[in-house]
Amino acid sequence: MTITGTSEKAAYQALKASDWHLEGAFDAFYSQPQPKSYTDARRLEDLYNRYKDAYADMIMADGITLLCSDILVDHQDIVMLVLSWHMKAATMCEFSKQEFIGGLQSLGVDSIEKLREKIPFMRSELKDDQKFREIYNFAFGWAKEKGQKSLALDTAIGMWQLLFAEKHWPLVDHWCQFLQARHNKAISRDTWSQLLEFAKTVDPQLSNYDVDGAWPYLIDEFVEYLIENGIIQNGQLSDWTQKH
Amino acid sequence: MNSSNQKKRNFQIEAFKHKVVVDPKYADKTWKILEHAITEIYNHNASGLSFEELYRNAYNMVLHKFGEKLYSGLVGTMTLHLQEMAKTIEAAQGNLFLEELNRKWNDHNKALQMIRDILMYMDRTFIPSNRKTPVHELGLNLWRDNVIHSSKIQTRLLDTLLELIQKERTGEIINRGLMRNIIKMLMDLGSSVYQEDFEKHFLEVSADFYRAESQDFIECCDCGDYLKKAERRLNEEIERVSLYLDSKSETKITNVVEKEMIASHMLRLVHMDNSGLVNMLIDDKYEDLGRMYNLFRRVPNGLPTIRDVMTSHLRETGKQLVTDAEKLKDPVEFVQCLLNEKDKYDKIINLAFSNDKTFQNALNSSFEYFINLNPRSPEFISLFVDEKLRKGLKGVSEEDVETILDKVMMLFRYLQEKDVFEKYYKQHLAKRLLSGKTVSDDAERSLIVKLKTECGYQFTSKLEGMFTDMKTSQDTMQGFYAAYAAELGDSPTLVVQVLTTGSWPTQPSITCNLPAEMSALCEKFRSYYLGTHTGRRLSWQTNMGTADLKAIFGKGQKHELNVSTYQMCVLMLFNSADRLSYKEIEQATEIPSSDLRRCLQSLACVKGKNVLRKEPMSKDIGEEDAFFVNDKFTSKFYKVKIGTVVAQKESEPEKQETRQRVEEDRKPQIEAAIVRIMKSRRVLDHNNIIAEVTKQLQSRFLANPGEIKKRIESLIERDFLERDSSDRRLYRYLA
Repeated sequence: MTITGTSEKAAYQALKASDWHLEGAFDAFYSQPQPKSYTDARRLEDLYNRYKDAYADMIMADGITLLCSDILVDHQDIVMLVLSWHMKAATMCEFSKQEFIGGLQSLGVDSIEKLREKIPFMRSELKDDQKFREIYNFAFGWAKEKGQKSLALDTAIGMWQLLFAEKHWPLVDHWCQFLQARHNKAISRDTWSQLLEFAKTVDPQLSNYDVDGAWPYLIDEFVEYLIENGIIQNGQLSDWTQKH
Repeated sequence: MNSSNQKKRNFQIEAFKHKVVVDPKYADKTWKILEHAITEIYNHNASGLSFEELYRNAYNMVLHKFGEKLYSGLVGTMTLHLQEMAKTIEAAQGNLFLEELNRKWNDHNKALQMIRDILMYMDRTFIPSNRKTPVHELGLNLWRDNVIHSSKIQTRLLDTLLELIQKERTGEIINRGLMRNIIKMLMDLGSSVYQEDFEKHFLEVSADFYRAESQDFIECCDCGDYLKKAERRLNEEIERVSLYLDSKSETKITNVVEKEMIASHMLRLVHMDNSGLVNMLIDDKYEDLGRMYNLFRRVPNGLPTIRDVMTSHLRETGKQLVTDAEKLKDPVEFVQCLLNEKDKYDKIINLAFSNDKTFQNALNSSFEYFINLNPRSPEFISLFVDEKLRKGLKGVSEEDVETILDKVMMLFRYLQEKDVFEKYYKQHLAKRLLSGKTVSDDAERSLIVKLKTECGYQFTSKLEGMFTDMKTSQDTMQGFYAAYAAELGDSPTLVVQVLTTGSWPTQPSITCNLPAEMSALCEKFRSYYLGTHTGRRLSWQTNMGTADLKAIFGKGQKHELNVSTYQMCVLMLFNSADRLSYKEIEQATEIPSSDLRRCLQSLACVKGKNVLRKEPMSKDIGEEDAFFVNDKFTSKFYKVKIGTVVAQKESEPEKQETRQRVEEDRKPQIEAAIVRIMKSRRVLDHNNIIAEVTKQLQSRFLANPGEIKKRIESLIERDFLERDSSDRRLYRYLA
């Protein structure tokens, strides 16, 4: 219940259905469509107004800061990304009225307390492979500047470090270092999405890396970089900390 | 019976109801007669016999059902006679053995013929119906069994024959006629006799012989000599067969010689120090090479061996040639060496290797390999052509011109980076056209046509545009002078070439300050031209022009100076000043500094062309240097050429620049290829795209897979393509 944020009744049902196995219960629970709880439109309106910016009909940086402190979440916490994803927010650091209200509705919350309670659930969504991929790919469009096609390198690195802290990809630090040393340009959408595939399918020792695997050029260069600098030797990921 | 009075009644003749008793001794008696006759025949006493009587006797025997007795009698008596003959033959000593055998064989054949004639009725009736061996064949079989296969004769016969052949191989004369007869005898006895009793052993012994001989030869002969010897032995064996062996043996014995003398020693011969294949190639030993080719083509893997050694040698020498620093200093020399090498090998393949296509192909692939090892090959080939078209082809006949151009085209075909060649060719052609320094317009055009045939219209359309511009400019000048004839009487003569921007190699255009006389004239031209061609823009390319100046020096020396436009601007300044500093010149002319430095260097620092004097006299141009007219300037010639717009081998930075431009030009070509392919295929996987794109661009350059990948990603960025959602290796065309 703490993790999924669901009611006692639903939790009991899920556990019973899976024969009291905890993992099975989670699987069963998540594969069901979420019951839509009733949300009060007026309450949502009030909530929006609480955070809305003084001059524009949007929630801007200040409002977001307030929101974060209300739900007791650091504004750099990855759960904010998940929340933005639920809202289908177009850009980071701002929510339109529609995005805010729509997002909270789809989560089935209309108060700060309910939103706070939903936080564990949102964190758990990151553990789901399919959802993580969606969130990851969403992050590209959300984090980039409006009107730009590509994502600025610094922002991309920040996002990657955030995301791969969740997903645990051992090569993420090398990747970021490589980009800063060699690439120094914005990241294309294709490269962004292909990187996740790379992290998921190719093992950190690169033993199953296929040169003809249609990986983006940047990733090929990254592999070369790893081999050149002796980070991957004979299929072994040497301990970076030992060298430095 | 007389039946005239009796009643008419049919009568039949009935067979005897009892057995006809023939004289029991009849068969014996008849046989004895025949037996005696056979003996007489074998004793050369046939003349006293009556053929008709003997025939009748044989006939009767068969008729009276004594065929079996006759037949077995024949076998028996013939066998006896043959055994006697065998004894005689065995008794013969030494050389007479074969002669005796031959004689007896002839005797037997004659006898057999007569006997067969006598027994012809049996041969035709009794023998077939009783499935017995016919007389003639019987006679041969009996000969075989009793004479040839007799223990004392069989081995001796074989040994004698082989001994004689051995003698002949070591140079002795033998009785070939006798050999022929004996061998023919064996052949007549049946191919299995020939093979088992002679041929099989002949081949074995020959193999041993040639194995030993080839071993001796190879130790003491060089490759050329060895091949001569092998060829001779081969021819000998062929002759031997035609003179006294069965023609079917030819292939078998030649195979033996080929195997023992050639195949076994193939590699050793080819790689022999100082005389092997490589040496023959280097020294153009056509005869030896031809011999090697003819001999080796007879053995399995013979020609591939020659071809492989030739290929690796060629690649090695080629590689050395293109990486030899000395040779690379002179591009024309470099290309000439390539052409010489090609000529050499063409001749070898023609004269020695009978124009074998597989060798041609090996030659082509080797050239393609090493020419492309040097990335400057395209540039150098263009420089070679440039030299030829500027002066090398002067006075050469039209035919020879074509020959040289065709050879150049051949080298061109080997290039992988044809687009690099195109870039350089364009630059060099531009310089030739603008400086008016081409030996033959026809030769230029001829080469363009050849390039068009090879590479298609797009390759040459711009080049042709350049020629058109030159022609059009001539017409424009005529029009200009016709229109302004009166005004221009005293002005300097202006010759303008109007170049269409797209067709000519791009140059950044920085105009400098022209002397007043020139700028006025140029303005007149500009207004004339734009008057007839509204909507166009003209920009003066002062870095590409030339000028002829008449100069009078301090001591009255008169010279005509042929200089570049920049040089002209500098020199004209000295009409109104005796001394000018670098800075002053720079300010007045506004020529970019690196060009200005080069310009001043060519005017002041080159012996024999120093129309200016510089203080200080150093080689380099310093900011504070001062320049004067060199009143002491002398030259043997009235006309002095100082400006050079001649094509030269590029310096490093220039080379980098050109290479960069080529790479830039390739990007859109790669993208166009990708789009073309994806448009028709709709969906295609990564490896196949790379392969198809490479194939499409092959005729211009070798596309780099990494670069293709980058272009694909760029197209994805621009929403021309997308990755398939389930298979990331698949690309999809977005309409």
